[in-house]
Amino acid sequence: MGKTRYWPRARKDIVEGLASWRIYWALGIGDIRQRYARSRFGQFWITLSMAIFVVSIGTVYGFLFHQDLHQFLPYVACNYVTWALIAGLITDSSTVFTQSETYLRHEPLPKTVFVMRMLVRHLMNFAHNILIVPAVFLVMRHGVHWTVLLAPLGLLVVMAGGLFSGYLLGVLCTRFRDLPQIVQNLVQIVFFVTPVMWPSSTLHGAAAWLVHLNPFAAMMRLVSEPLLGDVPGWRTVGLACATLVVLGALALALFARFRARIVYWL
Amino acid sequence: MASIDLRDASVEFKIYNARGRSLRNSLMQRVGGRIEGASGDHVCIRALDHITLSLRPGDRVALLGHNGAGKSTMLRLLSGVYEPSGGAADITGSVATLLDLSMGMDFEMTGRQNVILRAVFLGMKRAEARKLVPEIAAFSELGDYLDLPMRTYSSGMVLRLAFGVSTAIQPDIILMDEMISVGDAEFAVKARARLETMLSAARIFVLASHDLATLRQYCNRAIWLKEGRIVADGPIEDVLHRFEDRAAHGDQGALSGNVAHA
Repeated sequence: MGKTRYWPRARKDIVEGLASWRIYWALGIGDIRQRYARSRFGQFWITLSMAIFVVSIGTVYGFLFHQDLHQFLPYVACNYVTWALIAGLITDSSTVFTQSETYLRHEPLPKTVFVMRMLVRHLMNFAHNILIVPAVFLVMRHGVHWTVLLAPLGLLVVMAGGLFSGYLLGVLCTRFRDLPQIVQNLVQIVFFVTPVMWPSSTLHGAAAWLVHLNPFAAMMRLVSEPLLGDVPGWRTVGLACATLVVLGALALALFARFRARIVYWL
Repeated sequence: MASIDLRDASVEFKIYNARGRSLRNSLMQRVGGRIEGASGDHVCIRALDHITLSLRPGDRVALLGHNGAGKSTMLRLLSGVYEPSGGAADITGSVATLLDLSMGMDFEMTGRQNVILRAVFLGMKRAEARKLVPEIAAFSELGDYLDLPMRTYSSGMVLRLAFGVSTAIQPDIILMDEMISVGDAEFAVKARARLETMLSAARIFVLASHDLATLRQYCNRAIWLKEGRIVADGPIEDVLHRFEDRAAHGDQGALSGNVAHA
């Protein structure tokens, strides 16, 4: 196949894939429904688990770092809810195509449909998790600011990053089956070096670059800072956008080149 | 308009495996496509080798060949599931692959929900999909089970429902691996009638099978595959004659070689 044919076909895949919203919506919702089938609380276990985790870990870390819980719990809640979305998107990116193997091997559907399936699933998860934020704000008497209106914009950037990560890691992890494990471990490490559970002010001097140059932190803060009442700084916005552009370029190039091979690798 | 054009299309698998060489040895028996030389750490299997053919409305194609000749790969290539690794494949028209009838069924959901899910999968809106339910329900004779989770179904019931859904929407092109038969004798008759209606309304139909009688009954053209290449392509009787001749003259691979090649 000539090189010139890759791009039109990839574009067709993406355009038709994004347009098939009924299919990926049904698949994504189905994933969540299946996971909580026959349970009494159903998908609200998502919210409940998140609430339990945030409150317990927030309290413990609050004491460890000598933080005022009225400030610290909302901080951890907003951060962790966003982090769970980012980590989920990255981890599940590695299985977007292997998870949908039966469909891919039987139906000539656009590959994009299955990346979007993963996005729908995590967006629904996030929608359940975000419920704890107003609850924590209420209990801790944390004010709500107009900046909350900026959070959806940040969410859009995060989801776009998730789409690109789905293309990039999806292709790579289908071909190299050791990668999903590696990705999982890397996400774990990134969690520790990203200011999710600890206040970034605890880092001084040279260690501060961990926060300033951390693209995952930038993505997270794009959503969590507006929720908490801050406008993300230009450094955060710049880093997040630069990450998105680089990720997008890599992802689209790789996807266009190897899209047709995905089924062969399953 | 429905058409399929393959131009010089090849399907080549690279099997990546550290023990590629031992795998190659075990594949060296004459089953399957051409196994190309192993370069580095992978083995190449050319399942389909420079295939050129075109299918037009009215074509009822029988795919012939022994196990591993490339019939299933060919069906996947014709459906668009495999994009050729070399050459080109242009497919126009809606394709139904009746390869896995119960694909994507969620056993925690009710039969009704599954019908709607599948219809959405085939490109319908939810409202349109709901309208399909009564007809499929009547056909599959599930009665009140339709509103119970599918995990409570017997395997026969699952198959009936899956068959009912798969044959509810008329595609332009139908691809099938062996003739489908479902259910007990009585239901099988009904199912066969429904399937035949669907087949005759399709513009293009491709059936891979070892059963020559079935192929004669439904097809007007035959393509004989061997080791990933087309040996013969033409009117069904001509090709079948040559195929049977070859079988009679000791090429045991020609006819269904399930046992001989296992």
